[in-house]
Amino acid sequence: MFVIPAIDILDGKCVRLAQGDFADSITYSNNPVDVARDFEKQGAQFLHIVDLDGARLGFPINSEMVFAIAKSVSIPLHVGGGIRSYDSAKKYLENGVEKIIVSTIAIEKPKLLECLFEDFGNSRITVSVDVKDGKVATRGWLGESTKTVSDIITILKRVGIASVIVTDTAKDGLLKGPNFDLTKQFINKGFETVAAGGVSSLSDVQEFNKLGAFGVIIGKAMYEGKIDLQKAQKRVAYRNNLTKRIIPCLDVKNGRVVKGTHFSDLRDAGDPIELGKRYCELGADELVFLDIAATLENRKTFCKLVLKIAKEINIPFTVGGGISSIEDITKLLNAGADKISIGSAAVKNSNFVKEAVEYFGSQCIVISVDAKRQNNGWRIYIKGGTEETDIDTIEFSKQMEQFGAGELLLNSLDRDGTKKGFDLELLKRISKSVNIPVIASSGAGSVQDFLDVFQNTNVDAALGASIFHYQEVSIMELKKFLSKNNVPIRV
Amino acid sequence: MIAIIDYKAGNIASVKNALERLGRACVVTSDLKKILSADGVIFPGQGRAGAAMPNLRKTGIDKVIPKITKPFLGICLGMQLLGSYSEEDQTKCLGIFQGACRKFPPTLKTPHLGWNKVELTQESPLIAGIPDGSYFYFVHSYYVDPVRSKKPLVSAALNKERTSNGVDALEAHIVGKTSYGFDFPSIMQKDNFFAVQFHPEKSGAQGLRLLNNFCELCL
Repeated sequence: MFVIPAIDILDGKCVRLAQGDFADSITYSNNPVDVARDFEKQGAQFLHIVDLDGARLGFPINSEMVFAIAKSVSIPLHVGGGIRSYDSAKKYLENGVEKIIVSTIAIEKPKLLECLFEDFGNSRITVSVDVKDGKVATRGWLGESTKTVSDIITILKRVGIASVIVTDTAKDGLLKGPNFDLTKQFINKGFETVAAGGVSSLSDVQEFNKLGAFGVIIGKAMYEGKIDLQKAQKRVAYRNNLTKRIIPCLDVKNGRVVKGTHFSDLRDAGDPIELGKRYCELGADELVFLDIAATLENRKTFCKLVLKIAKEINIPFTVGGGISSIEDITKLLNAGADKISIGSAAVKNSNFVKEAVEYFGSQCIVISVDAKRQNNGWRIYIKGGTEETDIDTIEFSKQMEQFGAGELLLNSLDRDGTKKGFDLELLKRISKSVNIPVIASSGAGSVQDFLDVFQNTNVDAALGASIFHYQEVSIMELKKFLSKNNVPIRV
Repeated sequence: MIAIIDYKAGNIASVKNALERLGRACVVTSDLKKILSADGVIFPGQGRAGAAMPNLRKTGIDKVIPKITKPFLGICLGMQLLGSYSEEDQTKCLGIFQGACRKFPPTLKTPHLGWNKVELTQESPLIAGIPDGSYFYFVHSYYVDPVRSKKPLVSAALNKERTSNGVDALEAHIVGKTSYGFDFPSIMQKDNFFAVQFHPEKSGAQGLRLLNNFCELCL
């Protein structure tokens, strides 16, 4: 999360107001340029600048000062205050300001907002939502609108605005803590949300970080020495040690591991338990066992196998193949499986997914999707890739996330068994569209293919079968290779 | 004999399997007497806090857990239920640890799933012989939050305790932490109560070592 220092300019000076009251200002410096330079020196990654005179009068007053700051520092500026015409927006955007902050026009001139959005794009406009007693304030907080928070969310969504700054005006400049709930509403609606108003301690800053804010604007607390910029940045630096997973997949038929191309031409690849144990020792992060015959007869044998696997193997494993009832899942979980992969049944009856999640929890429900490219998208196939549906893979994946699926396993029928590499385009799209872990599957033929999928898409795990079974690639070698190439991997 | 508490919350077989691999005698039970008389108790769990707590109350296990004086290990949901409150289904929990359980923000992929590092922050017999920075397997959408919030996520009593001690009461119980967007506690200890957010029974050799350490404490 970014910690963003605020510079408010009134009559050419750097000031802070309390609750937006122009009569209640404290001057911190007569030279905002020096203040900006100082923040840059302290490590600020960008600056939030408000032309208070402009906000009050409805057109930029201190823009020359803003341009002077733009010339003096080399960090991006986000500037607001009185930007209520196309020309004033354009002037800023063409003279060194990275992003303009608008507020009043979102309420009073939504057409202008749409126009700016069209011409300059999402990345250069942020809307400041200033809330006063539950209503959105305008005109430098002097004006009031009848719009509520949910009204403004609807407006911004309609226009396509992605980034907002949220302030509870009652909290601003008082150093008594911010309004977390207000900010949370915007974060939960998917906005890139910057929080402002009343931030007065490091724990306030940390709290916004935990809520998932994109940034936090700090004014008075920084000028009064209550928050140190560098300390705050250190506290909220993004830290993540979660590793990418390598998952061998074992297709099981009649108690043996088999593998074929395009779901046919099956070849024997060994004993599932022996193979599973070996993969464990070599550093596999998880295992998948698929019952590819999945007849009633086979299901009993498979259940017994799962029971044995659970006793022998101490890393997580997923089982799947023909799962279509709560009873199926119960049996396999009781036998010791950690996760259950649901395929065709999820496509045919999405209520089954809801029901399974309700029963067993998201964490053990994996949805396995067989996708095949068609025109501009990917269609879902069922029954082991033999039957086409008219369902779009991306839409289906999003729906599964909504229904509570814990993870997605993406197979590509175009790539399965070909060893031509993962379908990067498909995986890029899917991993961008959902916010649950995604496992890449189908097409792995070399260590480079694994590196490609982790470097080019946002998937969390990659699955391989024959490439491991026939020892073309050793899991340990693969993991060392990925780690050497800076993919976070458990080695 | 180690008792594994069965309260109809998830994969209990794997904890039992792991103890059997270690050659430790264990029993899966919801019998209050057996739980109280065991040499040690493991409290596993997956699923929802809002579903688990009523089960614990119905069986009376909620009253028994605070009375246990033998080594006790909460795993995953079992750790979260030891806190005072969970955001999940707004559930009041057991209150062994004074901490609140919160959901990861929508900006992070949820569940937090896979192998992540545990950085050890203080000594505990539970982690004897386990190197700092070892990897363990996690699957969870909620985490125990040690930082005070403006909202009454934590009890007033705790805030008072914090102010009077000058230290964060919960922070003092953190033995290990893990980074997912930010740091959260992944191993905790308060007296005989241990808790881990990851699944030691699914975390390969280091997981088994941790479970073995726990079993040693139960002798």
